[in-house]
Amino acid sequence: MMFAVAIIAVLIALTLAVVRALAGPTAFDRLLAANNIGTSAIMLLALFGFMTDRPEFLDIGITYVLLNMIGTLAVLKFFRYGALGHAQDLNRDSDPR
Amino acid sequence: MATVIDTLSWAALLGGSFFYVVGAIGLNRMPDIFTRMHAVSVSETLGVGLLILGMALQAGVTLITVKLIIIMVVMMWTGAVATHALARAALHDGEKPLLVDETGNLVRTDPVSLFPELGVRLAAPLSSEVVDEAPYAVPMGADGPITELPDDSGGDANRDARPPDPGKAD
Repeated sequence: MMFAVAIIAVLIALTLAVVRALAGPTAFDRLLAANNIGTSAIMLLALFGFMTDRPEFLDIGITYVLLNMIGTLAVLKFFRYGALGHAQDLNRDSDPR
Repeated sequence: MATVIDTLSWAALLGGSFFYVVGAIGLNRMPDIFTRMHAVSVSETLGVGLLILGMALQAGVTLITVKLIIIMVVMMWTGAVATHALARAALHDGEKPLLVDETGNLVRTDPVSLFPELGVRLAAPLSSEVVDEAPYAVPMGADGPITELPDDSGGDANRDARPPDPGKAD
């Protein structure tokens, strides 16, 4: 019962984050909302596992946390260097002329 | 004893749900990216922390609690790193935060214009005109920012890390 309440709260938060990800005026707003959606997914996994008495879902949650970390580092690299792999794509995309 | 732990768990789960939803509402209501980041950090620290505390109280001293703590520690760590990188990237991109100037008015401006000492601590592209040309941080070469990359399309997988060609670099 109490887990159901928490799941509903996380689902509401997830919906609001999706709204911001769709509406966000800048790419940074969308990125922030996407990060929040990832966190919400992990909390949903954990809470759902507890609600159905199958805490093995936590292993999937740990995987998602680690994937979130990789994604964070990738985004960090993207904003620092402007590209993940090919420097010439950066040159073409960011060229204002 | 079980009733006490159940009550504490209830309280933690309800408090975590409350802060989680409050953070999500702030994400939609706040005026710019920096304040939105502030709102989201509420749900990613207090919300997640209380939800995990509530679940850990239900699980007791088991392997499940250890997994919950692993999730929380990694989440706190990456949340701080991601928020820092995001704020820095937004500043580099030219996002202007709402600040209070000397007369007490709210202005949307470059923080370096109000606090010149910030310009020393932040990376060079923020306070120079390079920012107008490139949307992201510009790699610095031996003689200034590199705006032209060496133009060879050979099968070199490590093109990013190569030092600039002094003949072709700007």
